[in-house]
Amino acid sequence: MIKYLARRLGLAALVVAGVVVLTFFIARVIPGDPAASWVGPHATAAQIAAVRTELGLDKPLVVQIFDYFGGILSGNWGVSIHTHQAVLSDIALRLPASLELVVTALVIAVVVGVPLGVISAYRKGRLSDQALRTLAVFGVSMPVFWLALILQMVFFQQLHLLPVAGEYDPELQYSSPLMSYTGFTPIDALFTGNWPVLGSSISHLILPAFAVAAYPIGVVMRMVRASILEVSGDAHIQMVRALGFSERSVFGRFALRLAWSPIIQVLALVFAYALVNTFLVESIFNWPGIGSYAAAAITSLDTPAIMGITLLVAVVYVLANLLVDLLQAALDPRIRLK
Amino acid sequence: MKRMRIVAAIIVAATLTLTACTGTPHSPTANEGGSTAGANTGTNSTFVYDAHSTAITSWDPSTSYSNEIIVLSNVYETLTRYNDNTQKVEPLLATSWKSSADGMQWTFTLRPDIKFHSGNPLDAAAAKAAIERTIKLDAGAAYIWGAVKSIDAPDATTLVFNLSYAAPLDLISSADYAAYIFDTKAAGSEDLTAWFEAGHDAGSGPYSVTKWQQGQEVEVTLDAFPDYWGGWDGAHYDKVVYRVVGQATTAAQLVRSKEVSFVAQLTPELWGSFKDDNSVQVTERASWQNLFAFYNTTDGPLKNPNLRKALNYGINYDGIVAALKGSATRTPGIVPKGLVGYSEGLAEYAYNPDQATQLLAKEGYGPGKKALDLTLTYTSGDDQQELAMTLVKSSLAALNVNVSLTALQWPTQWAQAQSEDASKRQDIFVMYWWPDYADPYSWFINLFHSEEKPFYNLSYYKNAGLDAQIDKVEAVLAVDKPKAEQMYIEMQKELFNDAPAVVLYTSNYQRVLQNSVAGYVDNPAYPNVAFAYDLQPAAQ
Amino acid sequence: MSRLNRVTNAGQGSEPRGGSAFGPTSAGRRAVRWMRENPLFAFGAAIVMIVVIFGVLAPFLAPFPDDASTATHPFETLVAPSAEHLFGTDQVGRDILSRVIYGIRISPVIAAAVIASSCIIGIPLGLLAGHFGGVIDEVIMRITDIFLAVPALLLALAFAVVLPPSPYSTMIAIGIAWWPWYARLVRGEAKSVTTRRYVENARILGLPRWRVMFRHVLPNSVTPVIVQASLDFGGIILTAASLSFLGLGAQDPTPDWGLMVNQGQGYFATQWWVVTFPGLAILITALAFNLLGDGIHERLDPRRVVSR
Repeated sequence: MIKYLARRLGLAALVVAGVVVLTFFIARVIPGDPAASWVGPHATAAQIAAVRTELGLDKPLVVQIFDYFGGILSGNWGVSIHTHQAVLSDIALRLPASLELVVTALVIAVVVGVPLGVISAYRKGRLSDQALRTLAVFGVSMPVFWLALILQMVFFQQLHLLPVAGEYDPELQYSSPLMSYTGFTPIDALFTGNWPVLGSSISHLILPAFAVAAYPIGVVMRMVRASILEVSGDAHIQMVRALGFSERSVFGRFALRLAWSPIIQVLALVFAYALVNTFLVESIFNWPGIGSYAAAAITSLDTPAIMGITLLVAVVYVLANLLVDLLQAALDPRIRLK
Repeated sequence: MKRMRIVAAIIVAATLTLTACTGTPHSPTANEGGSTAGANTGTNSTFVYDAHSTAITSWDPSTSYSNEIIVLSNVYETLTRYNDNTQKVEPLLATSWKSSADGMQWTFTLRPDIKFHSGNPLDAAAAKAAIERTIKLDAGAAYIWGAVKSIDAPDATTLVFNLSYAAPLDLISSADYAAYIFDTKAAGSEDLTAWFEAGHDAGSGPYSVTKWQQGQEVEVTLDAFPDYWGGWDGAHYDKVVYRVVGQATTAAQLVRSKEVSFVAQLTPELWGSFKDDNSVQVTERASWQNLFAFYNTTDGPLKNPNLRKALNYGINYDGIVAALKGSATRTPGIVPKGLVGYSEGLAEYAYNPDQATQLLAKEGYGPGKKALDLTLTYTSGDDQQELAMTLVKSSLAALNVNVSLTALQWPTQWAQAQSEDASKRQDIFVMYWWPDYADPYSWFINLFHSEEKPFYNLSYYKNAGLDAQIDKVEAVLAVDKPKAEQMYIEMQKELFNDAPAVVLYTSNYQRVLQNSVAGYVDNPAYPNVAFAYDLQPAAQ
Repeated sequence: MSRLNRVTNAGQGSEPRGGSAFGPTSAGRRAVRWMRENPLFAFGAAIVMIVVIFGVLAPFLAPFPDDASTATHPFETLVAPSAEHLFGTDQVGRDILSRVIYGIRISPVIAAAVIASSCIIGIPLGLLAGHFGGVIDEVIMRITDIFLAVPALLLALAFAVVLPPSPYSTMIAIGIAWWPWYARLVRGEAKSVTTRRYVENARILGLPRWRVMFRHVLPNSVTPVIVQASLDFGGIILTAASLSFLGLGAQDPTPDWGLMVNQGQGYFATQWWVVTFPGLAILITALAFNLLGDGIHERLDPRRVVSR
């Protein structure tokens, strides 16, 4: 187990280091001049040269890579060009809002996707299965940026049901100020008993979370259906059947239990993909997370910010996969012997 | 189920650790400032400014050169302020000023007994220190002080500028950027630049910064400065809040629900939808921002003035203005309304495909003849500009002129235009131009004065006669305004005839305000600024 | 974006397939029957067919073909859907229906090109890694690990930022993000085929390795590659649309769907049709290709449907 653990950790570190090099090279090929965009439109050549020195853009490439590596390890992820603040603190400031969104989306995906997937498997081949499968394919075929606009159009513009943008009603900052402990608005509001903020933040969360959840719902539904169908042929399940359990409980209880492992695996992946989908959704909902930060970085050619976000997502993804693998190895000895 | 829960728990734990490590305050109350004055929720005395994008990119009054002007203009003051209605410079921190006959020395008399927010006195020595810091840092718009050789402060209320060449210093000291007077001692022993960037202010204006929540929707809160020299008699807002709402739809909703007082920018369609709505007020005003198309006058087909004129006749300006639905207007000549040199009487190019065809035919181009292939670069990120480019390409395509459009980030677009290898330069360069202080000079010296190496003269235009005029005009303006005005008009006629560039449109400001806000006037010298002190929270 | 199909593949080990799932004799009839049993596949196939026909015949089917290129009508902007303009007109007066139809020639074509280029890079590398194993395998697989550690959309986005915005850049950017999947897939196939009796015999007989690779290993990888390609198509269309929505792809006047949604964003509150129709086009096309891909997957990859 220790050998397996060491190998997995080593590989993860290698991959993250590789991503650092990859992002660095992408950034260095940028045709624009990062220094010029730093100082703004009316800058003189001397000002640009000064900024170039300040940003270390005048050093040889190899030195810059090592500086960048050293910086990342010591928590210096560079300075964002469009906010003029440290990238890591920019990200830390905005990450909780995005995680709030993504975690909510994943919860929705599990709560909606698992039962529907089970039903779909149980009713395999029937009309309801066809309908649910189509729904799942809708989820994975949905352009989320468009869905976000349509949700706004329907629930805000037409029905006036839900607020259109922001994390919670800013007016509440005066009437009912929120104490921050975790950085997650609904959690803070819940623990401090700040009901107005809690209500407001939940109603603000619904539309963006559903926009982000479309893809995860589809993935989870399909995954659950496929895994259940796969294990339902297993000897174990056949035995349960033979024991006279109803078909319903064979699917809902026994098959689903066996099918959890691939579903957890898919959640790690979906988590990373949902995080990237926030790039397309957050700016539409004026959601103060890393997604709108990334979108702004893209339009302003903000190299350090784009590198930082890419790295962050890679680290999150690698860590999530590592966790899943380790969990499965811990539970299933066959894996760690491989 | 159990495994699922473990994973979830680990994810939450990991994220909590991450936020804990960085320890960045997320909540409004976690911020410093203490005096959040949260108790006062009377929206009547709070002016809420809805900004289209992040308000603050820098807090440093010397080097600031971006959107934060909307905040800083309520916190800091300049020696003078430009009134675009009278086209005159008016007193602010300075009560009067005079220049020597040759325009080489300017003496400003400061308002006595003014205090900065820090409590330190704002006297001539403080003003001198502020301007000197700006000049020394030489960033942002600091170049506006280029003529200043030295500054003297002979007594507490007298500030003397000695210039190395004549310049209209009364105008310059009214500039929207780099002209703020601030307390250089406000940070005490701390590093002033770092102190500023942490969200502190060192101004003398009617409001001071009490809260800054970077990256949040409610980004900046200003509170009235009790000792403001102008006093607080009469109706005034005692709090100014800046809210960042990028989506126009949301902004529109917020003003309808009276959550914001002022929306700086909407889409023309949405703005139009407010026009007939009595529950809000709308204002519209031409800005000083022109969209220019610069033709390459040294290389490629547009070296030929006939072809440049053909293009000028081949662009459907009225179509552009129509499609922009009121967010743009046309300006005769180059100088926008509200500045010296603006004249209704100047000739302008109009869409005339027949004349364009004739001019093209003269050079062997046009419909049924050789195709004229041109490259055009423009700055990406501006919807109106993009829409105009689509229309330019479209109306020229009908004349067998193929324009290949490339939207570039500004640094790339600019670098390409300046490349040593002339063949890499574009045929047409499109960009906005606006002045840094209320003077048309900035258009002429930057855009049309010949340059050894191209900087902003992106037509690569060389006209010795015009150069001579430009070199003279500021010295004339410093002493004889009517004569300078005539010179500016003549220069515009010259540019019309030679056609090195064309103004495609001038942007319009379209604002929406709550009915309860009284006294709002757009001043294009300070783009997008609402001077909150000048507004009255009227009872409805 | 749509990487879910990878996952459904992931747990499947990598035994080689016996020949084609289609029998040589009654292939047509069986396919028809199978289709009847799989209405979703039939539905997807029908829409894909329609999409392809509209794409090919765009000049004849689009009411205002010029509006898909340089024509504009500045005095007829943002006209609501009507008999003349079924989908309304956009911010410069162009017929949205015509642009949506011509848009078929952008995203789906990009998707095809991405798959082609991913195969061109991924298959040889996968063959090398799987067939030779050892250091070559280790190096190639670690490189794919790095690429796969960043979600495809983000990686494509990072590359697209540094390339000049155009459909070609979109293609290159997504291709760079996509090839590792094919390299891994083919590597797995190659690895298992290489250890099979007949391949070993061929080697013992002294056939050159490259010949063994191309004659025996490659053909066995074709089916999984086809399955994977059909599953990927919809996802690539979405990725391409997302890039152009962020302004990193095709530029005006190219009738790219993602770009059209981006440009229409500011109007959606007042003129809903500008974003609605191009977005629907993305959704329907991606949906159709995904349904088609699922069907092909089930048809050609019988292990997946082991429990039928």
